[in-house]
Amino acid sequence: MSRFVLGLLGVVFSLNAATQVPQFSPAEERAILRHGPWPAPWSPDPSNRASGSAQAIELGERLFFEPRLSPSGKVLCATCHVPFRGWQDSRARAAGLAEVERNTPSVLNVRYGRWFGWDGAGDSLWAQSIRPILEPREMGGSVAQAAALVRSDAELACRFAKAFGALPAADEALLAAIGKALAAFQETLVTGRTPFDEFRDALARGDAAAMKSYPPAAWRGLRIFVGRGNCSACHFGPAFSNGEFHDTGVPFFVAGGGVDPGRLGGIRKLLASEFNLLGRYSDDGQKKSSLKTRHVAAEHRNFGEFKVPALRNVALTAPYMHNGSLATLADVVRHYSELSADRLHADGEVLLLRPLRLGAGEAADLVAFLESLTERESALPERKPGAPCVK
Amino acid sequence: MPIFDAHLHYSHDAWEAVPPQQAIEILRKAGLKRALISSSGDEGQQRLYAAAPDLVIPELRPYRSRGELGTWFRDESVIPYLEERLAKYRYAGIGEFHLFGADADLPVPRRMVALARERKLFLHAHSDADAVERLFRQWPGARILWAHAGFERPEKVREMLRKHANLWCDLAFRTDHARGGKVEPAWRAAFLEFPDRFLVGTDSFTPERWHYIGEHASWSRQWLADLPPQVAERIAWKNGETLFSGMLAR
Repeated sequence: MSRFVLGLLGVVFSLNAATQVPQFSPAEERAILRHGPWPAPWSPDPSNRASGSAQAIELGERLFFEPRLSPSGKVLCATCHVPFRGWQDSRARAAGLAEVERNTPSVLNVRYGRWFGWDGAGDSLWAQSIRPILEPREMGGSVAQAAALVRSDAELACRFAKAFGALPAADEALLAAIGKALAAFQETLVTGRTPFDEFRDALARGDAAAMKSYPPAAWRGLRIFVGRGNCSACHFGPAFSNGEFHDTGVPFFVAGGGVDPGRLGGIRKLLASEFNLLGRYSDDGQKKSSLKTRHVAAEHRNFGEFKVPALRNVALTAPYMHNGSLATLADVVRHYSELSADRLHADGEVLLLRPLRLGAGEAADLVAFLESLTERESALPERKPGAPCVK
Repeated sequence: MPIFDAHLHYSHDAWEAVPPQQAIEILRKAGLKRALISSSGDEGQQRLYAAAPDLVIPELRPYRSRGELGTWFRDESVIPYLEERLAKYRYAGIGEFHLFGADADLPVPRRMVALARERKLFLHAHSDADAVERLFRQWPGARILWAHAGFERPEKVREMLRKHANLWCDLAFRTDHARGGKVEPAWRAAFLEFPDRFLVGTDSFTPERWHYIGEHASWSRQWLADLPPQVAERIAWKNGETLFSGMLAR
């Protein structure tokens, strides 16, 4: 191709940029459209009979902000999942009763997950919601203590009865129900629409005028995201996560020696848990939701793998990665730009991940795209104190 | 059951994170009888060999850093590096190196094979079947340890083992041969047909994976227990001892 033709193409590209009408290839367009529509369709969790129940949501909200679930009376779910911090804590590593090894993920959009926690040790949101209650370094509670709280507190007991019926005799069954109420509440936490969504929908209907309002840096970054960056291979779909686990070359040593085994440890915990979907507390009579758990098996590659995080509101949830080791989105983009393929197995992730080798402008564009995934305004209803429960 | 781990690396980024004494402790705690170890650069495994000559069997990688994994076979400076190290230290083999298809016939790999031939060293090849065939054509008497059994299907692995009497396979970074402590039928047939030709290995390709060696040894013992005891023993450690006894005797 001659320099003249290349120059001409450059002029056309610049004109497009100047008029802010991005042009995408059919493949890029298909990839972009797969990131919507938003909000994405969702159906209640068949393993949780309280999923979508208004009474369970009310109970779950109270429990989410209930410090007495921790014997210390000082740690609640919202200690780490802080509503005004994007439902995470802005710390590198979470700290309940003590600091742990991992970063707190936001619980916004958590209802779209397939596995829960950085290591996927939970196969349902309700099982995952039980984990921090019992974890000594987080809330430090126990089955008996959590059950006793609901039994002894008139307000909680009343709300429990409305959501689930009679209190079960067994403490463990009561704790499973607490997890289900917490899950029902978290399922309501969905992000609002973003500049990207407006652009994506305009692209879907061929509305060039509406597409112009999307900043050029953001759509240039989007092109990298779905194109040569191959980011959308893992950050897939409307929530921008394939819900699976990868080793992206982030070191996983932990303070004090040793390592965080990631998904490998998660699979072990999952299969050992009495609250997994193969157990008696799942409400899915068809057992379809447990198919993934029945077939999961640990592999060597799982060592050091962590879940692909969803990306909506990602600009509000720094720091990043499973251990909070990267402070900014620019740091994350730099990580993938300068990724050491040597850290990845020659027959493993290296087939998916390549150092992007982005120029400074390209890196800034990719960050601009990620920032365009921030909701314009919260989609959550204003929360008001509920009236006392009446039997 | 003791384990001969035939696929370990101790590369430059591991030396600080897992110092030699700690690395040796990990190997002993895992119940390893012996470990075939290479590093990029070579200094790492030499440190381990100096610390535990009864445990460590050194092999020489053609990489000064792991970044050379995809370029070494066109890099002529690799040869003087190999010559210098071979003149200075003892090794059981050259590898693990990554080499695929027709690249095996490039001048640098050819010279590397010639160096191995002069010193009667093993070749530890992370290669496809095509490259393995080419290496055997260059040196019909070569003894090749096929890393990861080429990530090939068991049927293809058996075909290669039937064809080449001097080919052995390590099973590093593979889980397809066993699940839940049970050996998959197609692999069972391969192990029973060639009990003398398989070895286990962890593949510590990042420093963190040194902390997986013990767990890998336990996992190996689980599935090996599903094989006849004599076959299990061979794959677990006897094949390694037999193959590399020459190095141990020198």
